[in-house]
Amino acid sequence: MSRRFEVFWHLFVASGKMFIRDRTAVFFSFFLPLVIMLIFGVLNFGEAAELEVGLADEAQNSSSQALQSALGQTSGLVIHSGSLTDELAALADGDRAAVLRIPAGWELVPPGSAGYQPLSAYTSQALAGEGQTAVLLVNAVVAQALVSVDGGSPEPLVVVEEVAGRNLGYIDFLVPGILGLTVMQLGVFSVAFGFVQLKQTGTLRRLFATPTSPSYFLAAQVSSRLVIALIQVLILLGVGLSFGVQLVGSVAVVLALAVLGSVVFLGMGFGVAGWAKNENQAAPVANLISLPMMFLSGSFFPREAMPEFLQEVTRFLPLTYLNNALRAVINDGAGLEVIGTDVIGLAIWGVITFVIATRLFRWE
Amino acid sequence: MPVAEPIIVARDLQKSYGSLRAVDGVSFEVAAGEVFGILGPNGAGKTTTLEMIEGMRPIDGGSATVDGLDVASDPRAVKARIGIQLQSSAFFDELNLTELLVLFGHLYHVIVNPAQLLADVELSEKAHSQVRTLSGGQKQRFSIAAALVNDPRVLFLDEPTTGLDPQARRHLWGVIKGLRERGHTVVLTSHYMEEAEYLCDRVAIMDGGRIVALASPDALIGSLLGRGFTKERVERLANLEDVFIDLTGHELRED
Repeated sequence: MSRRFEVFWHLFVASGKMFIRDRTAVFFSFFLPLVIMLIFGVLNFGEAAELEVGLADEAQNSSSQALQSALGQTSGLVIHSGSLTDELAALADGDRAAVLRIPAGWELVPPGSAGYQPLSAYTSQALAGEGQTAVLLVNAVVAQALVSVDGGSPEPLVVVEEVAGRNLGYIDFLVPGILGLTVMQLGVFSVAFGFVQLKQTGTLRRLFATPTSPSYFLAAQVSSRLVIALIQVLILLGVGLSFGVQLVGSVAVVLALAVLGSVVFLGMGFGVAGWAKNENQAAPVANLISLPMMFLSGSFFPREAMPEFLQEVTRFLPLTYLNNALRAVINDGAGLEVIGTDVIGLAIWGVITFVIATRLFRWE
Repeated sequence: MPVAEPIIVARDLQKSYGSLRAVDGVSFEVAAGEVFGILGPNGAGKTTTLEMIEGMRPIDGGSATVDGLDVASDPRAVKARIGIQLQSSAFFDELNLTELLVLFGHLYHVIVNPAQLLADVELSEKAHSQVRTLSGGQKQRFSIAAALVNDPRVLFLDEPTTGLDPQARRHLWGVIKGLRERGHTVVLTSHYMEEAEYLCDRVAIMDGGRIVALASPDALIGSLLGRGFTKERVERLANLEDVFIDLTGHELRED
């Protein structure tokens, strides 16, 4: 028994070593997800975008300066000062949500008073929604400024009170999705390509020439990939946390899900690698399995954004189950009672792939 | 033709692929310590015969024993005692030669001395290189080193010099002679006659899945001459390969 374990152990260590030294494999399974995460983390899609407002101050007096500084302090607005011509050109290019013109001789006085002049705002048809929001914000700033002028005291019209709450940004949505995606890619691709290559070059056949059954090698490959998947999930989760992802649930549950997911996808990978005679056969099938799930299982964007029927179909994909469960645990701290369905779904996929993989497997 | 102390006994071996009888009743014995060659044109059944005896391919008919063990009933035990160099075998790309030999040792439950094994095939300076960086001759020599990890009773070499240049081939001949001197039994296949003549104690010539002649190279040549054979052109005392080696030297060109 210990002798058998020894053989397994040496093959396991060798498999891990080979993976780490295989630059392509490391790039695709470690760095690619990391890069995707970094890019999306920096872009920070989900955040409420700031509105860029052009300001053409043709009055250049104390009133216009006061308004300019009040606008500058308003959160959600970024003010660009410039000539009306330049700012309108920027608006036409889509770089401004709206352009505000303060006419010459403008004073901050209520409508109807002497010297009252309206401000003019320009919006673009192309960004109608953003323009409207920007104009509303400007209106509110002016109104607030007028109140202060009128009554002499800068009391706010609306008092805002913040209630504590989780603010889930896009990065919070993305990181669990990337974790799921990575587990899938590692399982399907690193195995489908690496193993089929061993088969094709005769490396596996050379193992047949020894008294050790090649199933030891298979077991070592599967276990080393499982461990690599776990390390990878930990690294990506760590990077996610440094981006401000909120990890509400337990890391142990995340890792357990990664193991379950890896078993399913490794099963698929070995199914493909075991069936295929060469890389030309393995590549299209591996892509056929992973590409649809990459985009339809809610890794990058919520499945709710898809047409109804597509949501129904993609609900049952293994990566959908994995992503849902990871998201529930990481974002909401869900326990087994919440992710039970997903776990069962994954387990069923695990059984299905195991049966198919063992049927399709050929050593040569 | 029974031999004293046979280490390999093949009896009426048969293998068919569909209607093709790849090996059709092959019988021979190999004595411990000899270099035995199986010669023949491509498709003669050399490799199939070898692989059945190695336990790498199921035996359709007949039997084979290696070191007293029946191959069909216990291929693993046979594999533990033999060393196999496959015609085209690859090794894991990401491991270096030393790591590969240690790993292969573990597959036989033995602790190897990789430095010694590499020295035996004159690859000491490549101990930390990967297989893909080796030349053709070096790859073949490494493949022999990997077949030696378990200090096998019998070493099977399938076309060990095919595709090598004359220098690398002669170098490998030296390695194989060395194996014989250290007491290994060697069974090799080849389609180079001068190689068989130089290396083998006895050769079996196969054609169409059958053995058509089996004796020592000298005996085979003698019997041919005895039947009145003469070459149309009288053999000179040197041939073109001798000229080539004379002009280009014995040193290996593989770095």
